Amino acid sequence: MSGNDINRRDFMKFMGLGGVGAATLSGCDMPTTITLEEGKEKVVAYLAPEEYAIPGIGVYFASTCQQCPSGCGVHGRIREGRLLKLEGNPKALNGRGLCQMGQASVQSHYNPDRIMQPMARKGGSLQPVSWEEAWQIMGEKVSGVDQGRSAWFTGTVSGHQSKLLDALNQAWGSKEHYVYEAVNNAVGEAVNEAVLGDAVPAYRLDKAKSILSFGADFLGTWMSPVHFSREYVKFRTGDRGVLVQVEPKMSLTGANADLWVAARPGTEGVVALGVANVLLTKHQVNGNSLTKAALDLIAEYNASKVTEISGVGGDSLVRIANYLKDNSPSLVLSGESANNHANGYQNAMAIMMLNVLLGNVGKTIEASNSMAFKDLKAKRGNSRALLDFAKAIDAGKYDVVFFMGANPVYTSPSHLGFADKLAKVPFKVALSMFLDETTLAADLVLPLSSPYEEWGTTVAPYQPKNAALSMSQPLMNPLSPETKSLGDILLSMLKHHGVAGYAGYDDYYSYLRAALAGMPASVKAGKSGDEFWSASVQRGLINAPSSPGSLKIKLGDIKQPGYQANSGFPMHLVPSTNQNMYDGRNANLSWLNEAPDQVSKVFWDSWAEVHPKTAAKLGVKEGDFVKIESDQGAIETQIYIHKGVHVDVIAVPIGRGHEEYGRYAKGVGVNPLKILSPAEDAESGELASYATRVKVTKTGHSADLSRLGGSERQVGRRLVSTVAASVFRRVEGA
Amino acid sequence: MQTKDINENIAWAKINEDVLRSMENPRMGYWVAVVCCVAMVMCAVAAEIYQYQVGMGPANLNWPHMWDLYIATFVFWIGMSHSGTLLSAILHIIQADWRKPIYRFAEAMTTFSLMTAGLFPIIHLGRVWNMYWVLPYVSDRGIWPNFRSPLVWDAFAITTYLTSSALFLFIGMIPDLAICRDSARGWRQKLYTVLSLGWQGDDRQWRNFRKIYLLMACFLIPLAVSVHSIVSADFAMSIMPGWHITTFPPYFVAGALYSGCAAIITLFILLRYFFRFDEYMTIPILEKTCKLTFAIAMVWSYLNIIEFAATWYGHDMVAKELLIAKFVGPHAPYFWMMLFCGSVLPFTLAFEKLRRHLPTMFVVSLFLNLGMWLERWMIVTPTLSFSYMPFAWDVMWPSMVQWAIVFGSFGWFGLLFLVFVKVFPSVSMYEVKEMVFHRRHYHSSALANQFHRRASDPKPGDEPSKEGA
Amino acid sequence: MSLKNILENWSDYRRTAEDGGHHDYEHMWAMAIDLNKCTGCNACSVACYAENNLPTVGKKRMMKGQGMHWLRVERYWDEPDMGGDEKEYQERGGSFLPMMCQQCNAAPCEPVCPVAATYHTPDGLNAQVYNRCIGSRYCSNNCPYRLRYFNFYSYYEESWPEPLNMQLNPDLSVRDKGVMEKCTFCVQRIRVGKDAARREGREVHDGDVITACAQTCPTEAIVFGDMMDKSSKVSKIWAAHEVELGKHEQHKSDPDLRGYRVLEGLNTDPCVTYLERVREA
Repeated sequence: MSGNDINRRDFMKFMGLGGVGAATLSGCDMPTTITLEEGKEKVVAYLAPEEYAIPGIGVYFASTCQQCPSGCGVHGRIREGRLLKLEGNPKALNGRGLCQMGQASVQSHYNPDRIMQPMARKGGSLQPVSWEEAWQIMGEKVSGVDQGRSAWFTGTVSGHQSKLLDALNQAWGSKEHYVYEAVNNAVGEAVNEAVLGDAVPAYRLDKAKSILSFGADFLGTWMSPVHFSREYVKFRTGDRGVLVQVEPKMSLTGANADLWVAARPGTEGVVALGVANVLLTKHQVNGNSLTKAALDLIAEYNASKVTEISGVGGDSLVRIANYLKDNSPSLVLSGESANNHANGYQNAMAIMMLNVLLGNVGKTIEASNSMAFKDLKAKRGNSRALLDFAKAIDAGKYDVVFFMGANPVYTSPSHLGFADKLAKVPFKVALSMFLDETTLAADLVLPLSSPYEEWGTTVAPYQPKNAALSMSQPLMNPLSPETKSLGDILLSMLKHHGVAGYAGYDDYYSYLRAALAGMPASVKAGKSGDEFWSASVQRGLINAPSSPGSLKIKLGDIKQPGYQANSGFPMHLVPSTNQNMYDGRNANLSWLNEAPDQVSKVFWDSWAEVHPKTAAKLGVKEGDFVKIESDQGAIETQIYIHKGVHVDVIAVPIGRGHEEYGRYAKGVGVNPLKILSPAEDAESGELASYATRVKVTKTGHSADLSRLGGSERQVGRRLVSTVAASVFRRVEGA
Repeated sequence: MQTKDINENIAWAKINEDVLRSMENPRMGYWVAVVCCVAMVMCAVAAEIYQYQVGMGPANLNWPHMWDLYIATFVFWIGMSHSGTLLSAILHIIQADWRKPIYRFAEAMTTFSLMTAGLFPIIHLGRVWNMYWVLPYVSDRGIWPNFRSPLVWDAFAITTYLTSSALFLFIGMIPDLAICRDSARGWRQKLYTVLSLGWQGDDRQWRNFRKIYLLMACFLIPLAVSVHSIVSADFAMSIMPGWHITTFPPYFVAGALYSGCAAIITLFILLRYFFRFDEYMTIPILEKTCKLTFAIAMVWSYLNIIEFAATWYGHDMVAKELLIAKFVGPHAPYFWMMLFCGSVLPFTLAFEKLRRHLPTMFVVSLFLNLGMWLERWMIVTPTLSFSYMPFAWDVMWPSMVQWAIVFGSFGWFGLLFLVFVKVFPSVSMYEVKEMVFHRRHYHSSALANQFHRRASDPKPGDEPSKEGA
Repeated sequence: MSLKNILENWSDYRRTAEDGGHHDYEHMWAMAIDLNKCTGCNACSVACYAENNLPTVGKKRMMKGQGMHWLRVERYWDEPDMGGDEKEYQERGGSFLPMMCQQCNAAPCEPVCPVAATYHTPDGLNAQVYNRCIGSRYCSNNCPYRLRYFNFYSYYEESWPEPLNMQLNPDLSVRDKGVMEKCTFCVQRIRVGKDAARREGREVHDGDVITACAQTCPTEAIVFGDMMDKSSKVSKIWAAHEVELGKHEQHKSDPDLRGYRVLEGLNTDPCVTYLERVREA
């Protein structure tokens, strides 16, 4: 606690309960006699505390981090009834590690800008109301809605909450559940599904000896970064593997690569074809696994053509091919910059073709384990949901919309006119912890408890080996008794609707207990219901038996468009994602605002990264403001110059530029997502967020860039010393 | 052209009259000066109160600039304090009697600049209220300061030096205070009665006075040298490039004497002008001071060259980088300004025409001190800006809070000095008489020097000294 | 040692002095950070904020260099004389260096503190006594690593608006303005670990104590432990890479062993060993 400001009321209570208060404090304007009866709850709590509440001793309880969709298991340290710190759950996929977003999720829990009670729109603005009133409004607006006229718009959901949500939707006769994540791997998943028959196979980084990643920032934001970081270490130690990263803007993974190659956004597929070309021609790799059409296409993409389209030099292609050939087995990944483009599906397909050509499927790409409970599986988010939803509300399809875990008003490009379209929906309910842009547009706001105040189960979207259900349990009493967990709200709604089978549960906790007790014996491993419950809560994980799946290989067509210069808008905009602000949900956490971006080291603001050559051409230096203008609008931000950006690219990180969302987020930086051009991936219908062309002009303003660190070079000192991999393998190799 | 240090025919009574007149009836200009100084001090006080309440942040101190102008100005004022010791102690011992008309105010300068300097380590502390912890007071918890820390040495050195130089100033003033006592009325009479300690000017008192004065002089010289060596240890004892330099102690002492001399020239000209001390603070004396300053400037420049060369040809690459950063980096304008003021400008002192031109000398002396102030800044700050960790490199300019306090320190010094000149005789009456006496008898400064030791004793057959009477 | 003895055996004496004398210590807490594993993800730094009640100071003060990042992850770009080359792109990625207080055995910050607010504990830690600190900031000036941070303001009101203050770790204080602070190797966790061991009547085992940064590190690049325990993981890493305490220059049987200490030549004898970053070419 800060300072010595003992809350006066607490002090009074203390004194009153001790029996001396009446004598010493008479004359004060406070009720000075608090009888033992009145204060019983508090007194008894201290006299006979919970088993864990040992004053001065921190105790750890398992729960699940919800700060990003990865669903890492955590241990929360509790002392005197307060959650103090989070650590990774060693039994979970993330091990004892946790990323900075997970570490900062306590700040989300204790955030000063949390919504502490329900709010309803009255006379144009949101006013605090009681839960009774909130339910009453819900009853009025929602009960009469026709079948199919309501929809849910959420982020990634899984576990029993997801099950309840399905049940509710079913009861309403509406199947409309849009699952949206601004940062997603939907295109890659579509290709995986098409080629391998498994949308999220297991990527065995630990087995690979070389990794070629096309913009997959698996150490930062891609799928399950903490898990991949652990696998990365296995990949990097012993007989050390080689990491090559091809992307338009250096990501955290790119910064750790042995070879970082700059490619124009959207040309990753071409680079993949070029690499395949070298592998087939120079290394005589057997191309039997590919179709004739594919081989013909590869033959077309010789080095000079690839260089012309992608900007990747022929020598780089040869180096990449050599690494892949010499360090087998290899693994080729496609990430955001490759996928989120107008030809994203084709890029991902070409990249998958490399995996097929190199024979990685089955070696470093394994089938995920199919889980016992299909209904608990994570509903993975994509951006197509946003486009579909925008179309649907524009057409006036819904009377009631529920928002939860997504902030589309903030993340949607301005060409969608999302806010205006949303205004057409008569009644919008937001289940939220914070007054973000979407919540503020709602008519009814139901305050959610934080992930560390509620019961729940989570199934991580990425389930590489042992399928697991991660438990959430309240780590402390809710900060506000007026907040409710998603599970409780859904259960109340189900009960209100009179859906059969839910009336017997007092709250979500009892539902969850019953649900776990009802799990098959194979999951419970012979334990009784109560035993199984305690074990699950204690471990934080339920390992479900799973059957190993299998992968097929059915490579689709690979088409690649040529590179077209756009003279009006000569540069590419890269709305990069970093493991800090993520998709903007972390902008209200002061720790993460103050934590510098890993690559640029900029804090508390947005910035635009350009290559030194580009900067020279634009006539800008670090800290100069530039105007980045697309056909949809313009943003202004400061320049940071480094050689980890393609010369034709200007990269602006997403996640800042909130108009609302609390004191730490509001008005800080710019939001590049707003100026995205309308473009979609033709095959998957995903938003092509990397397809925007921009024109960059100097504004003439300049200010110091908020960047940590003085010199960016070591000036000859041996601070970070580098040794060659060959030496490492000789000395420390397995 | 005036060639004699002092007019030998000047009457005893006129000396008393002139000096005592300077202490009376402050004119308009004096009050304006006082008001200006008070205003400057108030600026600093306001800044300090703000800083005290908020923390050190508004001063634009940062990581890595934990020190900045406060410490630089502290060193500057400590340096300034060496003037008095030089004139009264060193020149006393080597019997340069031309010092006599000007040593008093120089000594006062010593005391006051120490009083100013002493404020800075306090102002710069993050937790001022605990400043006494650096002193080895008897604590019931048995906690002592860290005697290995140069900052603790500083505390000892400065308090010792301040006490000694204040005593020296006071002791040297006793015969003059007696003169004041005899002509003063009201509160002044009471003050001087107490302060003159019953001085009657008898033989025994003079003998004891001479002894203690010489003793103090001998005591002060090593003290002065050690004080600035210790201040240099704040830097030289560290391991930072640009601070960890072996030549720092002599370099600091030379720099101190340099800035002290330059300040003497400034105040010499001011006092001569405002108090019409033309007959005591004569041009030849100024010339001698200028020559001395020039010599010290050359020593200082030489030590600079040694430092640069040692760094340039040494093997410490970080120190060399720092030197290059000083030459061409963001601080370069100030660095070259410092070298210009400190090493080029003193050549004006080598020309007799310029030396004798008071306005020129006034401006030059101010610039010399500006150079010396910049020197201290250029010692403290660039090292912090560019040291071992390139990631921590930074350039930070001081904020108005720092400037206000530095500015106010000049006001504080000025205020103390202004009070001094009206309360105490700023020219030593008895020593001027002594000087005139010797010149009269020997008509030659050379002879006076030669016989000085004996000359200070009353000669048989001479008119008995009326000094102090 | 008598004066005569010292004069006769000067070189021996000097060597013992260089050794830092840690051999009598109860513990010698140390770290090993493998830059081959470190990805520069910054999780350690935020974990440090969470564990050690570090205030967030806001953009303006951060820009003024008044931030309180006890553990900072430095990022350097390659330069020609460090094995890189002037190619068009940053082909070898970045170089990340997590820097926390190096807990030097011959710490330059210790002798200069006028009030002995920073001193060496028999655990080999470079301790900072907040209550004793008067804020002369000399220690930070004399830290070649620039790892000491000063409370230029009082932050407890601005940095932890309610209910964020409920997150504050009660195991250690919130520092007020005018006090120097730095990484403590999570001394509060060491305390807990030692107390637990004493209660159970046993020695502190390797793994009983782990710092917040080491615990959260997704790649386990940071290894923390007791150098006096020869079987601890950290001792083994130091031994495997032939880095020894008490030396300002390591003589290795194989020059390709990766262990080194930052600015070792200054003879600060830091307790943090780094293992070199590895790159293909």
